Amino acid sequence: MRRMMLNGSLVLTALVTIALCSLSWGQATKAEEDQRLGMESHIGKLTGHATSAQGNYRRYCVGCHGELGDGEGENAQWLEPKPRNFTLGIFKCRSTTTGTLPLDSDLFDTIGRGLDSSNMPSWNPLSAQERADLVAYVKHFSARFVTEKPGTPIEIPKKPELTAERLKAGQEVFQRVECWKCHGPTGMGNGPSAATLTDDQNRPIAPYNFHDGKRFKCGTTDEDLYRIFMTGLDGTPMPSWSDNIKPDEAWDLVFYLRSLQPMKSKEKELARQIGLKPGAAAASAPAAQQ
Amino acid sequence: MLPLRQRRQRSNDNLDVKNRMYPEERDKQMKARYQAAGMISVLLLLAIGLLWPARSVSAAAEGKITGTVKLDGAAPHMKGIDMSKDPFCVKQHENSPAHLENVVVGAGGGLQNVVLYISQGLSAAEASQAPAKEPVFDQKNCMYTPHVLAMGVNQKFKVMTSDQTTHNIHPLPNPLAGNIPWNKSQPPGAPPIESSWKAEEVAIPVKCNIHPWMHGYFVVVKGPYATTDEKGAYTIENVPPGNYTVTAWQEEYGTQTAKVTVAAGKPGTADFTFKAK
Amino acid sequence: MTSARNRFASGVLLASIFLLFAASDANALPAFARKYGLRCSACHEAWPMLNYFGQKFKDNGYQLMNDRDAPIWQNNGYWPVTIRITPSWHRESTDKVAVDQTGGQQRITSHGFDVGGLDLLSGGTLDKNLSFLFVLSSDENAVFHFESVNARFDNLFGSPWLNVKVGKFELDNIVSEKRGLTLSGSGGGFQLYHFIPVGDSNFVGQIGDNQFGLEWMGHSANDRTRISASVFNSSDGNVDLPGSNSYTGFFAGSQAFELGKLGTQRVGFYAMVGQAPTNTLTSGGEPIPGGGFGNKTFSRVGFNGIFYLKKLDFQVVTQHGSDNAYFATSTASPDPLPGGARSAVWNGAFVETHYVHNPQLVFIQRSEWIRMSQQAIPGTPSNLGDIDNYVFGYRYMPIMNSRAGFAIHNEYSWIRQRGTAPDGTDLASSSVLLGFDFDF
Repeated sequence: MRRMMLNGSLVLTALVTIALCSLSWGQATKAEEDQRLGMESHIGKLTGHATSAQGNYRRYCVGCHGELGDGEGENAQWLEPKPRNFTLGIFKCRSTTTGTLPLDSDLFDTIGRGLDSSNMPSWNPLSAQERADLVAYVKHFSARFVTEKPGTPIEIPKKPELTAERLKAGQEVFQRVECWKCHGPTGMGNGPSAATLTDDQNRPIAPYNFHDGKRFKCGTTDEDLYRIFMTGLDGTPMPSWSDNIKPDEAWDLVFYLRSLQPMKSKEKELARQIGLKPGAAAASAPAAQQ
Repeated sequence: MLPLRQRRQRSNDNLDVKNRMYPEERDKQMKARYQAAGMISVLLLLAIGLLWPARSVSAAAEGKITGTVKLDGAAPHMKGIDMSKDPFCVKQHENSPAHLENVVVGAGGGLQNVVLYISQGLSAAEASQAPAKEPVFDQKNCMYTPHVLAMGVNQKFKVMTSDQTTHNIHPLPNPLAGNIPWNKSQPPGAPPIESSWKAEEVAIPVKCNIHPWMHGYFVVVKGPYATTDEKGAYTIENVPPGNYTVTAWQEEYGTQTAKVTVAAGKPGTADFTFKAK
Repeated sequence: MTSARNRFASGVLLASIFLLFAASDANALPAFARKYGLRCSACHEAWPMLNYFGQKFKDNGYQLMNDRDAPIWQNNGYWPVTIRITPSWHRESTDKVAVDQTGGQQRITSHGFDVGGLDLLSGGTLDKNLSFLFVLSSDENAVFHFESVNARFDNLFGSPWLNVKVGKFELDNIVSEKRGLTLSGSGGGFQLYHFIPVGDSNFVGQIGDNQFGLEWMGHSANDRTRISASVFNSSDGNVDLPGSNSYTGFFAGSQAFELGKLGTQRVGFYAMVGQAPTNTLTSGGEPIPGGGFGNKTFSRVGFNGIFYLKKLDFQVVTQHGSDNAYFATSTASPDPLPGGARSAVWNGAFVETHYVHNPQLVFIQRSEWIRMSQQAIPGTPSNLGDIDNYVFGYRYMPIMNSRAGFAIHNEYSWIRQRGTAPDGTDLASSSVLLGFDFDF
């Protein structure tokens, strides 16, 4: 009797294991997405619920991001850059390492800040609770938020004092890791490789133009700039540099990049004072694309 | 009459209540012991039966699958690459111009860079074994070496750079199928990057955004695998005896399958021929 | 109270009722939806009523502030024009109208198909931080007038606190009548925004009418705090009237705050204080522009608020109004006032409730009350001219995209004014409206 029960339970376990193994990721479907409507988000003291955001998603987001969150809304065909496809779980603006999910607060900040030079507005007029609910709704489109944990946010050390040495060192980093290949010797976005850049969906994409751009899509502060190149912008050609730029050097690079931007800043003023010019290595690159 | 000593022992036996057993109980005890022995031997057999396929057999007893992959027809012309975006790359190819590597055919019609793997016939345990060695993907002279890197699920691999120009390594798996894309930089002198893939995928395109002509593949498979050399020849090692389906994958021509039987001491063979378009 | 004055008063009331409906004012611009790829529901609670996102867009000078606002970023073929028209079948009924044939009064009902007029709107940015709006509005006979025509300098010196608008524009009412969700003859507009006591000659104190002037407006970066001050002709938005040498000021401020799960709430105040002439010089019997004199003052002050409670929202406006005795008694200064004349003072409030079932279906109810607290002439019944107005309706939008808007609009409204029937009793009117609202 005991033997039979033992065999029986072994067989049952085997059957269940086989059944579970045969389930695969598959394409996102509405039915699968609806199962994840219980998704929550946690930002500070706020808890967002996907179910509470259905009305707001329909009101504000569906026209670009689509009913299935796949970036195929009715207006998507005329937009450049294209709206985010939430089903892939790949996001540009993160504080976590490349290839990992963003934190809830990364998504919350993106929704509130909007993305400059794109059709994504700043949704700050919505209350913090409404935005937290929308974060949960954005997450529910991708099964990855159920099975994976968000990545580890990178550590950003305290910003050091700006000095002429640091500014020059920042330029050296720019030369050493060859940022100019895409961004150009003066950060105008006209580097030798700029014209052929494509994103993950093989659509043409342009590197950031520091000469004209005042605000980055993924933030406006020095810490945001630090985070952008250290974590990389997933989905785009911009890689993560945390393996190859030390935290102290990264701050030097931040100062140098600020000196390339059009706004008045301490960095720009200092660069002018010390007569900082595009580096020799960059000057020897093939003629910058006009 | 028994000697006195024995008489005393017998009386001790009788007085020891705990050890005293009635005949029925003694019978039951013996039956239980036999039952226990029976259960244990069944369990042992079951354990051995479950573990049997997972045993590592000595090399002499392990089987192989060998074969050749050929291209039938004229090899397509592989375009030359304009590397003028990067003077370093131009310099490396001053004496040996670079060509695209979608289809690499050796003398005799052998197709290089074809990945062979076992798509059917492996047990779950055999399929989940990740080999210990780390295949290496190198960025050399602004080209990927090897052009196609095969590896097992969860097998660690290394990405290196031997170039004095900055590359970025950007694998593009399908995020809805299990593997997640990432994008890391590799400036000159950068340390190797170690990574692995958690799901089977044939195949993951890899590109460098800075050098748009650079593209290669990571082919992530379960179980043993092999890649053809310049003669189109391959050997899949460590294949336990059994009946299998082998799949050959080439980036331009797709896949072909063949049934193979491997016996101890008798390697299986599977040859493939892809038709040139 | 002479019957002549009653007739006049009821005539004015009737005329203003029909006028209200005739000028179908409304600002909902699918041109913006086309420009930015946002659906109507992004900016409008239920178009044309703005939500906070849309209010911020408007306060920024019709800009999203994403560096893509200037026209050079748009497709060459993009032209910022919108047309709005509301054809309908409607039924108006007034219970006491003086009729010559009988010498008495009777109920008059009229119904039929009608069109509220056409609005031709264009607005947006001419360049970064330079925005404009014009609204060309016609009555049902295609006679056009400028409802709005203004240019605005936005974010001067990079600050959202410095915005200057010049031209003809709507006053800064956070509860905007031009974006109201009601359209019928007796319920389309807010009575408080146009109230004139019986026998009062001041028609320039209507806070719901667009005015010619200059406005400074400032807001916090997130548009939670808003303040404005404007000065304009005391001419009710008309040009060349004798009132053109006198001015009125309008001040408004509001603060929005978040109440957790309930949503964002906004409370504010407004104050209109102005002077207008009560007399004018004439030439050949015609008033001379700039010849107005005998200026007297008037004021309208109140609180307003917009409150969100999940799918419900409430718009509340209160008003304390006061017209100088000369206005209140229609006396041309320096003629003597009737004995014991005082200023006309009143208080009023309305609450408009919306239930937004989803962005494509909204139910509307408004209740409005105006109570005279001081009649101009002692001995006048204290409730002469008091108004009660109730409106019920819904708007259903079968399509919602980023190109055009279409709504099915059904509404019933009932209004009663005390003592303004030809026989001095109460005058009541009702409207039924079954119509469509097209916005392209």
